[in-house]
Amino acid sequence: MNPATRKILQRKVSALGNLPAMPSVLQSLGECLSEGSSDANIDRVVELISYDKSLAAQCLRIANSALFGRRIEVDSVRRAVMALGLWHIRDIVYSCSLPNMFSGADHGMAQPTFWRHALGTALVSQHLAQRLGIGNVEKYYLAGLLHDIGILVNSLLFREEFQQVLQQAETSEAPLCEVELQVLGFTHCDSGRILADIWQLPADISETIEFHHHPSLGNPETEMTCTIYLADILCRLRGLGYGYYEAREFDLASESSWRLLQRKYPAATELDMARFTFELDEHAIQVRGLVESIFGHGGASH
Amino acid sequence: MALETLTSRAQESTDADLTDPALVKLRDLIYRMSGIYHAENKFYLLATRARRRMKAINSNTFPDYLERLTTRPNRDAEMRSLLNEITIGETYFFRSQSQMDAVSKIILPKLMALASKQVVKKLRLWSAGCSTGEEPYTLSILLLEQLAQKFKDWTFEIVATDLNDNSIAKCSEGLYAEYAVRNLSPERRQKYFKQEGNLYRVNDAVRAGVKFDRLNLQDQSKMLFMKGFDLIFCCNVLIYFDGVAKKRTVDHFYNGLIPGGHFFLGECETLFGVYDQFRLVHFPGAAGYHKPSPEEEAGAAK
Repeated sequence: MNPATRKILQRKVSALGNLPAMPSVLQSLGECLSEGSSDANIDRVVELISYDKSLAAQCLRIANSALFGRRIEVDSVRRAVMALGLWHIRDIVYSCSLPNMFSGADHGMAQPTFWRHALGTALVSQHLAQRLGIGNVEKYYLAGLLHDIGILVNSLLFREEFQQVLQQAETSEAPLCEVELQVLGFTHCDSGRILADIWQLPADISETIEFHHHPSLGNPETEMTCTIYLADILCRLRGLGYGYYEAREFDLASESSWRLLQRKYPAATELDMARFTFELDEHAIQVRGLVESIFGHGGASH
Repeated sequence: MALETLTSRAQESTDADLTDPALVKLRDLIYRMSGIYHAENKFYLLATRARRRMKAINSNTFPDYLERLTTRPNRDAEMRSLLNEITIGETYFFRSQSQMDAVSKIILPKLMALASKQVVKKLRLWSAGCSTGEEPYTLSILLLEQLAQKFKDWTFEIVATDLNDNSIAKCSEGLYAEYAVRNLSPERRQKYFKQEGNLYRVNDAVRAGVKFDRLNLQDQSKMLFMKGFDLIFCCNVLIYFDGVAKKRTVDHFYNGLIPGGHFFLGECETLFGVYDQFRLVHFPGAAGYHKPSPEEEAGAAK
């Protein structure tokens, strides 16, 4: 994006009053997490979540779904926090609150479609990071969940143009960001980065949002950006995409992101990618169920 | 027939079966032995099919059946019978829509852009283990449609081989019941078939591009002549071979493909642990294998 476009976009994004502010619960949760998991902190988190009844109910539903690998019923927010740990609770709270925040963005990409992709990428990023043996994987879920946040910004602020982007992408079966560049002159990576800065997200997550389609442009190219890039494409190719057919062949071996991960993590060379893909299909079923529970029956469509 | 299948399914596997940890072990064993992966949403199929075998040999529980598949002297024969049960009755026209979409929307345009193909303008496909002919005739219909639309000056040849004389005879007859054509639109039925009572016979246009031949994939000298293919399909055949035979067969497929050619297995089948020269590639909803062209090879080494 050239500096002039960035400036205009930046002004437009920050000037608009209807841009969602970071919910206070997420902000407070962030503070609790940075202070560590002391008893007092856990009490505060439980209190924060329980304060909003519908949030608490949704958190419990997700905590009990297979998404977080649990098969044992948790019946209170406190138990969920104890069983899953603060990081997972933060992931769950984000997964529940973000769709509500952006409920006004419905005229762009269909919300269930968007969140299926976001939640799918979050899960697959986290699993991939774990399987590769990357340390500190706590942030990968969140990075995956937020990577396409710019699509919501575009849906909110550039309604008509973004509609055109979606239609054109569907007709040409081309990747979304290529069409965005043609029609808008910038991509959801750019507008997502601006929102990330306004929200003061952690630097690595903001970088990932900006470079998740071109990890090599990041400075430096990080394993987080590479992982989210790969998880994003895999989701798009396994039925958790943007709701249209993207005519592309994805050859993992020729991806510089994959080679970077292979150099850094020997487990990448050993990973049975075909099986990983099938396992992704299993996540996809869970993600569909979850989105359906958030959005009601409309979430069931493909 | 569908109703019958449903009823027997209900009788043969129960909800308790689906959560039996031994079923996961069975899934993993089948994957190791055959490369066929049952995702969790396919567990009911796996349970039902295993139950059928268990009934035949008087085994009452999954743990017991697992033991018979791993430690008993006749375990290999039983695994074969189970794999037979798993792949039986799996063939009909346009069985894998996502594979066919990958061929028509992504692979064909790519093949036709290859410099080496520009001179001959003829596509060569091989359906290895073509069974009763649904697969090669599907490919023939697909190519007729695609070439007529976009690539008028191209021709194609489909070589369809099977070990079984009866299957080859059935292929030549080209007569199918409702079950085999259930995925076909009325337009396609009308255009490519002649109805004879309850049966459908493929017409001459579909037949013209397909050449049937009896071939044993283990016949080393004959396999050496199978060369120059752009696309090879081999669904649910390799599972019957032991490791060495599998590797040798896939090696023939690899050598039989032109550089830049593609190889497809059954939808849930992988080359896991068999062969590492092919590159795993992803298309929307379908994974396949690719023999890189020299240019692609150079690109990956960068």
